[in-house]
Amino acid sequence: MADPERPVAPPATLGELFWGFFAIGARGFGGVLPWAYRTIVEERRWMSLDAFNEIVSLCQFLPGPNIGNAAIVLGRRWFGLRGAVVAFLGMFALPFVWVLAFVVLLGHWVDIPLVRAFVTGMGVAGGGLFLATAIKLGRPLWPRALPLAIAATAFGAVGLVRLPLLWVFAVLVPVALVLARTGKL
Amino acid sequence: MLELVLYFCLLSLLSIGGIAAVMPEVYRYTVDVQGWVTGPEFVRLFAIAQAAPGPNVLISSLIGWRVAGLGGAVAALLAMCGPSSVLAWYLGDLWERFREAPWRRAIQRGLAPLTVGLIFAGGFMISTPTGADWRHVLIAVAAAAGMLASKMNPLWLLGAGGIAGMLLL
Repeated sequence: MADPERPVAPPATLGELFWGFFAIGARGFGGVLPWAYRTIVEERRWMSLDAFNEIVSLCQFLPGPNIGNAAIVLGRRWFGLRGAVVAFLGMFALPFVWVLAFVVLLGHWVDIPLVRAFVTGMGVAGGGLFLATAIKLGRPLWPRALPLAIAATAFGAVGLVRLPLLWVFAVLVPVALVLARTGKL
Repeated sequence: MLELVLYFCLLSLLSIGGIAAVMPEVYRYTVDVQGWVTGPEFVRLFAIAQAAPGPNVLISSLIGWRVAGLGGAVAALLAMCGPSSVLAWYLGDLWERFREAPWRRAIQRGLAPLTVGLIFAGGFMISTPTGADWRHVLIAVAAAAGMLASKMNPLWLLGAGGIAGMLLL
């Protein structure tokens, strides 16, 4: 389906928008972003790579699920409110059914020791993937003391002391922003 | 239930750097504060959200499911996505204008270390749901090492973690 010769054009109908985002959500095993790229840029050619990267950086800047934000921003750009709703529904339709089906199955089987051990092992490994993600994202901070100190403080306050996130933000966000604004970060 | 919705609406706006950054807070609130799920149960719900296709924000709908069934699942997902979606709706078009603004770069530079610390805290809490258990830590560290050392699909690492769990746990 990928054809670099095809011109870039936004989806023509709401149906096309829905199925595009459906394809992203449905195939997004182990991370949705690569599938968003493949669907939007390569397969459907709704936008150029540069325009797509622009959307990704916007959605990473905004709070909320990055890819959910992308559905809203792109759906709105192409079809207004209907587009935002349709893209969002398309993205979540199948994954939502999947996770609920899994959780119902798990409810039936959780008392089987091997099932319980398998799912727990998977979850703990998922925690490990978070650790690795943090290390990857943190590499550019190395070896500057100040950003590492902020990361370590956030980790200690939330992960070890278990303070509410709101308190931690109330202190650390202003500190981090002032440091960044004055060029110390 | 109303409590859950309001809380997730708040988290929606606090989730700078994506949903992964508020995962430790979701854990703290649902396990430590409200007791809606136990630590190991949270880890299993997290496993489902990670292994299923789709965005990892779906963990919120699983917690909603535990608290109030199907309606809870829908409400929790919408609460977690709603407020940030409204923000995305309004800021989407302004982005071109402030993309190169110095304050935007300052915000991004300032918040990056916070996000790193929070995601690490999430990984730490999820891999120690019953306090320090060497088997959990071993699986988590092995998965982390696998992700850092290779470019394989994370799904394989989750599967390997599951098998390790069957052998060890």
